Amino acid sequence: MAEMVKLSVNGQEVEVEAGKNLIDAVGAVGIEIPHLCYHPALGADGNCRMCLVGIEDGRPPLVPACKTPAAEGMKVQLDAEHIKKIQHDVMELELINHPTDCPICDQAGECALQDYYQKYDGQESRMTVPQVQKSKKLDFGCGVIHDQERCILCARCVRFTRQITKTGELGIVNRTDDARVTTFPGRPLNNRYALNVVDLCPVGAMTSSDFRFKQRVWFLTRDKGICHGCSKGCNIFIDHHKEKYKDDIIYRYRPFVNEQVNGYFMCDEGRMTYKKENQDRLLVAKANNAESIISSAVDSLKNSISSSNKPVFLVSPNCSLEQMYAIKKLGEAKGATVSGFSDGYILEGDGDDFLIQDDKAANRAGLELLGVDTTKEAFESAMKEADLLVNFNNDLAKSYDAAALDELIGDCKFAMVATTQDALTEKAEIAIPAASYSEYSGSVINTDNILQMFNKAVVKNEPFDDIVNIVSRIGGDVNENSAAWAGMKASVPALKDVEPEQIPEQGLALNS
Amino acid sequence: MEVKLLSARFDVENCNKIEVALKNGAYSVLDKAFSMEPGEVTDEVKNSGLRGRGGAGFPTGLKWTFLPKQTEKPVYLAVNSDESEPGTFKDRYILVRDPHMLIEGIIISCYAIGSHDAYIYIRGEYTTQVKVLQAAIDEAYEAGYLGDKVAGNDYRVDVTVHRGAGAYICGEETALLESIEGKKGQPRSKPPFPAVEGLYGCPTIINNVQSIASVPYIVSNGADAYKAYGTEKSPGTHLFGISGLVEKPGMYELPLGLPILEVIEKVAGGVKGGKKLKGVIPGGSSTPVLLPEELETVTMDYESMAEHKTMFGSGGMVVLDEDVDVVKLVKNLIDFYHHESCGQCTPCREGLGWMLKIVKKIINGDGTLDDVNLLRELCDNIEMKTVCVLSAACTMPVRAFLDKFRHEFEAYVQ
Repeated sequence: MAEMVKLSVNGQEVEVEAGKNLIDAVGAVGIEIPHLCYHPALGADGNCRMCLVGIEDGRPPLVPACKTPAAEGMKVQLDAEHIKKIQHDVMELELINHPTDCPICDQAGECALQDYYQKYDGQESRMTVPQVQKSKKLDFGCGVIHDQERCILCARCVRFTRQITKTGELGIVNRTDDARVTTFPGRPLNNRYALNVVDLCPVGAMTSSDFRFKQRVWFLTRDKGICHGCSKGCNIFIDHHKEKYKDDIIYRYRPFVNEQVNGYFMCDEGRMTYKKENQDRLLVAKANNAESIISSAVDSLKNSISSSNKPVFLVSPNCSLEQMYAIKKLGEAKGATVSGFSDGYILEGDGDDFLIQDDKAANRAGLELLGVDTTKEAFESAMKEADLLVNFNNDLAKSYDAAALDELIGDCKFAMVATTQDALTEKAEIAIPAASYSEYSGSVINTDNILQMFNKAVVKNEPFDDIVNIVSRIGGDVNENSAAWAGMKASVPALKDVEPEQIPEQGLALNS
Repeated sequence: MEVKLLSARFDVENCNKIEVALKNGAYSVLDKAFSMEPGEVTDEVKNSGLRGRGGAGFPTGLKWTFLPKQTEKPVYLAVNSDESEPGTFKDRYILVRDPHMLIEGIIISCYAIGSHDAYIYIRGEYTTQVKVLQAAIDEAYEAGYLGDKVAGNDYRVDVTVHRGAGAYICGEETALLESIEGKKGQPRSKPPFPAVEGLYGCPTIINNVQSIASVPYIVSNGADAYKAYGTEKSPGTHLFGISGLVEKPGMYELPLGLPILEVIEKVAGGVKGGKKLKGVIPGGSSTPVLLPEELETVTMDYESMAEHKTMFGSGGMVVLDEDVDVVKLVKNLIDFYHHESCGQCTPCREGLGWMLKIVKKIINGDGTLDDVNLLRELCDNIEMKTVCVLSAACTMPVRAFLDKFRHEFEAYVQ
C-alpha cells in the first residue's frame, strides 16, 4: 500500500498518494487539474502551463501541478480567481493561432481544446491580427497525418517516439510561434506503434489516415474489448456505430488503459484488425456444398457428427475459453479427437520486447489450460483416420498451403464454423457463420497468463450465434458461458476459485 | 569616477597573449589560492559580497555553497558567456582584452567548488572572441596553467569552449546546459536546481564571465578590498555598458552605487547633441525604463534599482533622448524577444507573437485604443506563467513603456 498524505484542494481535505504528481494524486480522488502536455505514460514536460496551480504559503506560490509531488499539508488552490484567470489566459493563447476548424476536424468531440474552451475560456476571440500559418496535411508515414496549425506543441508525440518506441522520428523545429512538429527529411515515422501518437495528441493535429473523415466521434459507441491480434490481449475501445438503415460496424480500435497488460498503448497491426470484424465475413451458411439457411446447415452438421466414426474437431486458438470448453465437451461426448493445432499462428521472431508477440492468437494459453492437444503430430495422425473434420474457426491456411491442405483433408468430410469467408469455407461442405469476438462475451488468457473477460460490443442487424450456442445446437451440453464456467470450475484446478463475474478490470493473473 | 580592478589590463596591448599577461600579473593569484582550503576561497568570495553579474545579481559565493556536500558525481563549472541581452557589451571586453583573467578566475573557482571541468558557453556570434579565447586557453594549457597539474599543483582543471548557435535563450542557465548537452536550447523547469542536478545530471555551478573574472582580484586582495568599492549591499565594481544617445558611449568600469545622472553626464558626456533626456533603460533591454524625474534619485546598484521598480540587470544602460519614438522602440523590443522565445511554453510562444502583431498594427495606423489596452493586458497575462523568465524580460519593459508613455501609444491610434 502506497504511503498516503493529507492535503487540501480548494480548502477541501483529501487523502492522496504521496509523491505522485498533483495531477495524478488529486485526479485519483476525482479532482481534475486541467492539463494538455502531461500524460501519465510520458511524464511531465511542463510546457502547456495549463496545470498551474496555486500553493498557499508555498514557495514558489505558483507551480505546474504535473511537476509538483503531493506533500503532506499542501494547500492547493485550484478555483482561486488568479488560478482561474491563468487557465482562461492560457486557453486564449492556445487558441489565438489555432485554425478553429472544428467542423472539418476529426478530433472534434474528443478534443481537449474544445472541452477546455467550454470549461475554462468561453470568451469570443480577441484575435484581430493575422494568424500564424503553418503546413497542413503532412503525411508523417505509418498512416499518421499531421496538421501543424492545429498543433499546440505539447510534444506528447515527440516524447512518445523518444521514450516509448525509442525511434525518435519526430522533433520540434524552429523557435517561438514558428515552432512545429516535423520529421527529418526522408525519414518518416517508421515504427509499429506509430498510430498511438494519434491517440496521444490532445487536439486534431495528429489524425489517422484510416479513420479520417469516416465518422463523427460523437456517433461512436465506445465499448471495451480485447484485441485478438496476438497473445498480448491488449485492452481496447471498440468504437462502433450503426448508421440508420445500415449495419453496426466498427470504425476503429483504440487502446484502453490496463497497467497489467498493455499500459496505455497498442500496436498498429492490432489496431487495424478491426477491419476483419467488418469485412469478408461469412454471411451465408452452406449445407451439402450449397447455400442454405443456417438451421439446415446446423442440422446437417449435427447429423454428420452423429454418423461419423472418427470425427476430428479443430479449435481455433482465438476461441474464447468458454467456446473451447464447449467444443471439448462435445468432442468427448461424440468420441471426437479435439485438436488445437495452430502452429501457423506463430510468427517466430515477429514479436518485440514491448507489446507485439510472436503468437498471433489470443487464447493459446486457454487451449493449454483446458488440456487441448496442439501438436501437429496428434492432429495429423487423427486426420489420417478421420471421416469428418469440423473446424471451429481455425485458419488452417496459416499452417498449410493449398496443396497441403488438399492432401490433409483428402476424402474427409469438411465442415466449418467460421467468422470469415475464405478458401476454407469455399472448400467446406458445411459452413456455419458464427459471431466474431466483438459480437460475443467471453474470456481469454494472454501470454502472461492473465485471464481477461470481455463483453459483447457490436450487435449486427442479423447477429450470428456465438460458437458456444452453435456447439449446443449441434448436440453439445454447454449452452451458455455460465454453464461453461460451472464445468471449467469443476474440472480445471486453476479456475476452481475463479468467479467470472469478479474478474477485475485489469484481468486476473493465474498462478499456474 | 572610473576604477580599474577588472579592466586593469584592458589597455595593455596584446594582453590576450600569455607572455604579456604574465608580465602584467596574470596567474599570480594561483599560488595564494592553492595555499588556501577550497572552503576558504569560497568564504572569501562569499564575504566579498560579489553578486552575479549576469543580471539576476544572486550572490556568487552563496551560490557555490548550494552544491551538495557529498556527491559521487563530478561537479561542473559552466561559465555563461552567451552575452546577448540588447544593450549589454561587457563580457566581450574580458574575452578579448584579458582572457587570462577569466581563465585564472575559472581555475580558482573550480578549486573552490571542487570541479575539474569547466565549460565556457560562448555566444555563437562572438567569432573574434572565441578565437582569442581559445588561443588563450591553448596558451594556458601549454604553460601548464590548465591540464592535469594546474601551475604545478596536484589539481586538474580542463576548460572546454562550447559555441552557441545564435539563440538568446541559451543564456538562460538551464537552456545553456541543454545546449551544451547537444539538445535544443530550452530552459528546464526548476527544481531541481543546477547546483543539485545540472550538466549531464551532475551538480553544476553556472556563473557569468564577469563574476568569474572578479574572483582573482577578490582572492588576491581580500574581500575587504573589494568591498571598499560600491555600497554595502552592492559591493565592488561593475563593467557598465553605456549606449544609446550619449556623447561618449562605451564600456566603463565603475563602482556600484553612483548616481546615474552624474554618470551619464560626467562619464558618458551627457545626452548627444545636448538634447533633452527622455528616459534610461538601466540594465539591459529587459529592465523597465526610468523617467528623468525618477532618475534623479537613482543610484547604480541593485537596491536603488529595485526601489525604483526596475532592475540593475547586466548594467547595460541605454539612454533615450527626446526624439526617440517609444512605440517603435517597443516594437523592436517585442520583435527581439518574440524572435528569441524558445517556443516551449504556451504563453510566451503564442503571446509574444500576438503582442508584436498588435504593436505593428498600431504603428501602421490601424490600431485602436482597444489594441493598446490589450497589449497592456497581455503583459500581465503572459508574465511569470512560464518555465523561464524570457517572457517577463519582454513584458516588464513593455509594461513600463506602456504605463509611462501611454500618451505616445494613444497618439498613434487617434
